[in-house]
Amino acid sequence: MALSELAQLGAGIAIGFGAIGAGLGIGVATKGLMDAISRQPEIAGQAVGFFLVGAALAEACAIYALIIALKLSGMIG
Amino acid sequence: MEGHYLVTIGNITFNADTVITMWLAMGFVLLLSFAATRNLSIIPSKLQAFAEGVMNFFWNLADTMIGKEGRKHIPLLASLFLFIITANLMGQIPWKLYHLKNGELASPTNDINMTAAMAVIVLIYYVAAGISKKKFKFFIHGFSFVDIILFLVEILEMITRPLTLALRLFGNILAGEILISAIIGICAWGLPLPFMFFEILVACVQALVFMMLTMVYISSAIKEEH
Repeated sequence: MALSELAQLGAGIAIGFGAIGAGLGIGVATKGLMDAISRQPEIAGQAVGFFLVGAALAEACAIYALIIALKLSGMIG
Repeated sequence: MEGHYLVTIGNITFNADTVITMWLAMGFVLLLSFAATRNLSIIPSKLQAFAEGVMNFFWNLADTMIGKEGRKHIPLLASLFLFIITANLMGQIPWKLYHLKNGELASPTNDINMTAAMAVIVLIYYVAAGISKKKFKFFIHGFSFVDIILFLVEILEMITRPLTLALRLFGNILAGEILISAIIGICAWGLPLPFMFFEILVACVQALVFMMLTMVYISSAIKEEH
């Protein structure tokens, strides 16, 4: 296999494994949000704000993997 | 996505598409804040009421996140937030109808140079805030073994914090554009619409995250040790 084909394979592996962590992270964050709202329904508005920030932080890990994947497949830089 | 529209003036080459859309975003924020602060009155006009609501949002956030010195840092935080949210939302305007020779007009935050510049500004700002508050103790508290390890960790953080700030914003906006162009490749009629709504949410959340992280860095730089 040529080196560029291996790079394409690596890009797929990178984003695949990166997405596992982000998916787990957002799942745990959503579970925490549901627990908090069912325990104390009056803080729902505030909790959703924190949840969105936390979910964005967890999602960023997948975004780093995506940047590596794009770099490997030659779509950027 | 497919490269940028390069313009060379003297020995400097820059991405003209990014610069144009950045100036548009800056101009929008400047005009809005200029128009909102003319003819201030006790009974506010609609625009003034909106601006007061925005300022209240920043005041509450700074008071809860940083503490009693938080309002001093609002000029940087508010301009970062307003600029980034304008720039991100501009990506959903159909700029691509106007063809450049090379590259395309899009949200300025999908260029890593733009986000890296903002991240470096944040780095310089929070280090300067920490030094002006704690002088030399910002870097190192003493010369025991633990203090030296903490100093090394602090130096490492100075590299990773701006790197992650820049990559997070850049990656999210670029991923959104790639996602939408991939969806357009599947079916261009109606299918991209829900993803565009999702991108509007992402644009707001990423601007908020950038500002919140800046706030956390500043508050960790200036808080008193016990």
